[in-house]
Amino acid sequence: MRSYGFLVFAEFVYIGMVFTKKKKKKSFSYFPLWTFINTSSSSSSPSKAEFHLSLEDVYRFKNSDGVVNNNMKGEGTFSADEEDDDKYATALAVTCNQEAHVYDFHIVYSFSYRVPVLYFRGRRIDGQPLELEDIEKDLPQYALRTLRESKWTFITWEDHPYLHRPWYMLHPCGTSEWMKLLYNGEASPVKDAVIQQYLACWLSVVGQAVGLRIPLELHNKKYL
Amino acid sequence: MAAESPTASRKVVVHLRATGDAPILKQAKFKIAGSDKFGKVIEFLRRQLHRDTLFVYVNSAFSPNPDELVIDLYNNFGFDGKLVINYACSMAWG
Repeated sequence: MRSYGFLVFAEFVYIGMVFTKKKKKKSFSYFPLWTFINTSSSSSSPSKAEFHLSLEDVYRFKNSDGVVNNNMKGEGTFSADEEDDDKYATALAVTCNQEAHVYDFHIVYSFSYRVPVLYFRGRRIDGQPLELEDIEKDLPQYALRTLRESKWTFITWEDHPYLHRPWYMLHPCGTSEWMKLLYNGEASPVKDAVIQQYLACWLSVVGQAVGLRIPLELHNKKYL
Repeated sequence: MAAESPTASRKVVVHLRATGDAPILKQAKFKIAGSDKFGKVIEFLRRQLHRDTLFVYVNSAFSPNPDELVIDLYNNFGFDGKLVINYACSMAWG
């Protein structure tokens, strides 16, 4: 029986497309809109295809007293827009006593580790990039604890493979191990469903290190 | 926990199941308020097992955020009147 710790690139592209095409159901409390991006130039060969998933312009608010606004139950710690038309709507919610930080998240396939990798960066509203220590101040307590204690999640500063600029990333060593663990129990009889669950499952773990949440319902097989 | 809805205040039976080489608990099933956060389950396991790094997951499918409410997890993934939680201790890498 195949173990699903790893993904081949074609599977990553497939589940990425499925994941980004999922429609919000009425019963979902919130639904971050990941988009599927192809940055390959038309001249490059198909084997050099550059696909990644992107969730950009995620706003994180901080009150003037330094307390991070965490009380958006259902919205997760980060709130992401649902519709393209609303892309800048959250910006309007910034009140004068709050400092907003804006985050971008990319999911990129790692050919060396054969797993998805989370890249991210943060900036102030005026465009000034955030240092890691500023980012850590934005994270919920449990995320800091995960980063500090867990051996399978730590942040490094690496070149974004497609944008060729330094971004923060959660190091993928260990990813295939815990993914295998998550799938070891009761493998779904429907193979396709198992692969489709991969990204939601993976995000449930890496999201905890950066305070990013996805709807519980995405893990529920009856919504597949 | 400010506003508790009637459903959130109900108790949920949680079944803690060890995987890999993780120690088995003497008492694997216990009741917890639905309005509690999942983080409380993780804390309980950490204290019981004296391990800081635990990998806690549900339904062999995902690792819940510590801020999720136990009742929400139960409503989505509960089965046969209980919520099964798997846990594993630190693994061989790193």
